[in-house]
Formats: sequence, structure tokens, C-alpha cells
Amino acid sequence: MSPRPHSLIAEVTHRCPLHCVYCSNPREMQARAAELPAAEWARVFSEAAQLGVLHLHLTGGEPVSRQDLIELVSAGRAAGLYVNLITSGLGLNEDRLKALIAAGLDHVQLSFQDCEEEPANEFAGTRAHARKLELAKMIAKQPVGFTLNMVVHRGNLGRLKAMITMAEEFGVDRIEIANVQYYGWALANRDRLMPTRRQMEECVALVAAEQQRLKGKLRIDFVPPDYYARYPKACMGGWGNGLLLVDPAGRVLPCHAAGVIPGLTFDNVQQRPLAWIWEESPAFLRFRGEEWMKDPCRSCDRRAQDFGGCRCQAMLLTGDAAAADPVCTLAPGRKVVDAILAAVNSSEDPVRDWVYRIDPV
Amino acid sequence: MNLGSVPRLGRGCRLAEDNLQGWILLIPEGVLRLSGPGPHILQRCDGVRTVGQIVEELESVFPGAEAGVIATETTAFLEQLMERRVVIE
Repeated sequence: MSPRPHSLIAEVTHRCPLHCVYCSNPREMQARAAELPAAEWARVFSEAAQLGVLHLHLTGGEPVSRQDLIELVSAGRAAGLYVNLITSGLGLNEDRLKALIAAGLDHVQLSFQDCEEEPANEFAGTRAHARKLELAKMIAKQPVGFTLNMVVHRGNLGRLKAMITMAEEFGVDRIEIANVQYYGWALANRDRLMPTRRQMEECVALVAAEQQRLKGKLRIDFVPPDYYARYPKACMGGWGNGLLLVDPAGRVLPCHAAGVIPGLTFDNVQQRPLAWIWEESPAFLRFRGEEWMKDPCRSCDRRAQDFGGCRCQAMLLTGDAAAADPVCTLAPGRKVVDAILAAVNSSEDPVRDWVYRIDPV
Repeated sequence: MNLGSVPRLGRGCRLAEDNLQGWILLIPEGVLRLSGPGPHILQRCDGVRTVGQIVEELESVFPGAEAGVIATETTAFLEQLMERRVVIE
């Protein structure tokens, strides 16, 4: 029997006014003309709810770029889902947000690139920071859950304490501090984004202290930088185990980056029922469970905990999607990660000649 | 938290009934499965009732419970959720 999915990540568009240097979208994006219409998304949400999904994450690109966002929110809520909007905020204003809340929006996750304007605009590749400050204060007054998401890396970790203070002053309920994960655009900028070991150690200690200080007042969730870990992250909670992602054109993927794995075909909600795609499509079956595992994962005591780590990372760093995630210290591929970290830690601060995310046509 | 506190659900937290899992609490980072008196307590966390009133009402829902137990357990349950900001005063 297939596991039950709990979350649907709906990339409703790849269009975005920001050009973040660590964007998790694939390098090859879906064009506006290929985007599913709202009625089609509504059917997907209701099929997802029938499969057992509880959380709907409306993301992109910038989901607010969709003129019919309110219909998407209503459809998600009508399907019985918890509706989360993952946004840069650009394109949002108080009236539009109130209408989204009235349509059933449960939660807003607003991204910040930094607490200082100049670097924030540099990382976003656009002048967005000043507007985000206004929006954060406005959102905090609305009857909707509010999380501030801050992606951290070599260029802003020195200001992490000030970033947390900024979030505290806005009056958010929760902060997500996520170290960059190296896929898509972030991989292209890895040498400029990867923190030093010292930064990593300081950030882990700072977050632990701040979690203690803000206990009961503000929740901090933390994603550590996985290249520095001993064991891999339980990527997506296991392949095809709890999450599914639908891209703007309706292709269904087990994660954001799965397109980098050669030989996988992603079925489309326009041709197949979501339940079939989840339960039976070759792409979801490929790395579900443990059958595909090689050593050292196959016989490892941790295999039910981390599922061998990330298939996409194994592909990107070792060329074999079925290998153990090379961040694992038990993996033969770990030497690749060690070499990357050695280079990062022996270099001066890198020149920030960014590869900026481009917008689809 | 004491018997005079007036609890309510935090922003972005919502009770729901799931076909497979019964009463659940949807929260920003996931789902809490509720059992026993859990749903009865949270349905009454409306920003109007005090903990004392909630306890009184629960005593009539669970008439067999020993005196004092419901008050202790309800307070402990709510305090635990307050730490996660799922319930606020």
C-alpha cells in the first residue's frame, strides 16, 4: 500500500518579480502560456484532499503574480485544505490580502533576504526590501498565521541576530531560518553562498540560544547547512512518502529538484488522475521505499530515518541518483563534499558575481 | 495559565475533522492529532470562555472523571500547546 501524502506544493507560476540567487526553482522553467488555469488547479486540490493531503502550499515563482490567486485560495479551502501562501509579498496589498483571508487563507510565509536594504536587494536582484518592510508590518495586523522565512548563507549569516530581532519587532508568530540548499540557482552560486565552518558553528549556537530566549513567544524552525552534517537530511521525508509537487504546467514531481534526475518522466495532472500518479507512476515508485538502495544505505541502521538522504543531491554531486547522499560521512561520495568544504574554508570572501534567476517567458 | 485565563487558538491554527484521523489541529508547520478530551477542550478555546468554565463544561462531558483531574489535565494540555503558540491567551 502507498503511503499517504500530507502536503501538496503547488507551484502555480514560475513568474517572479525577484531574481534570488538561491531560488529553488529549476533552471528550466515553465512559461506563462503553459500554466494550468484555476479550474484545473481546483480539481487537483480536491483530488489531493481525497488522497489524504491536509496542507496546500501555494508557491511559485511568485503566486501573487497570478491574477486569479483568490480563486486558487478558495478552491484549496473548499477542498478542506489548510492554505499557506509562500510569497515575496510583491503584488500584495492590504485589500488583496484581506480578500485572500476572506477566501480562506490560513497562513502567509513571507520571505526576507536580509535585514539591511543594500544586501537584501543584492541577493534578490531587485529593489524589494523597502516594500517588504511595509508589507510585514501590515500582514502582522491581519487575522492570519504569519511566518517570516529567511534564507541564510555566507553573505548574510553575520547579521542573523539582527534578522531575528527584525522578525521579533514585526510581531510574527514563527521564523524559519533556512540555510541554502544547493539545487537549481543556488547550485550555480554555491561558491559564493556556502558558509564557512566558523559561520556554521556560530549560527547553530545562536539559533539554539534564540530559540531558548523566545520560547513561548516566537517559534524558530531551523534548517542547518547539510554539507556540514554527519548524516544526510531526510529529504522530503522520503521520496514519494509524504509530499508531492505540481509544477505550473501540471507535471507532478516528488520534490523541487527531481527534474535533474535523468530517465524520470513526470506524469501530468491533465492526463492522469493524481491518485494514479502518486500510487503507481514510475517516477514516484523509482525511489519509494528501500528496494532501490545500494550500500552503505541498504544495510544501514539509519535508513528508515533519513531514507538515504537526497536523491537529487546524490545525482548532482556523484552522478548516481541511487547512491547514498554524499553529505553522509558513511557515503563513498563524501570526499566530493569534503573537497567543496575545504575550498570554501581556505578561500577569502568570494567575489559576489552572482548568477541571477531569470524569469520565464 | 490558570483557571481565570481565557485561551484561544493562535493565528494560523484551525481545528478540522479528518475522515481518516478524526479531530486534528492544523498548524503552520504540520498537524496535531487529537484524542480523548483534546478536541472538546480546543473547541471551547474561543477567547470568551475561561479555563475554569471549560473545565466545568468538560466535567459534564466526562462525568466519570475524578474531581480535580480534569482541571489539572486541561491546564497541562493547554500549557503544552502555548509553548508552541498553538494556543494563546
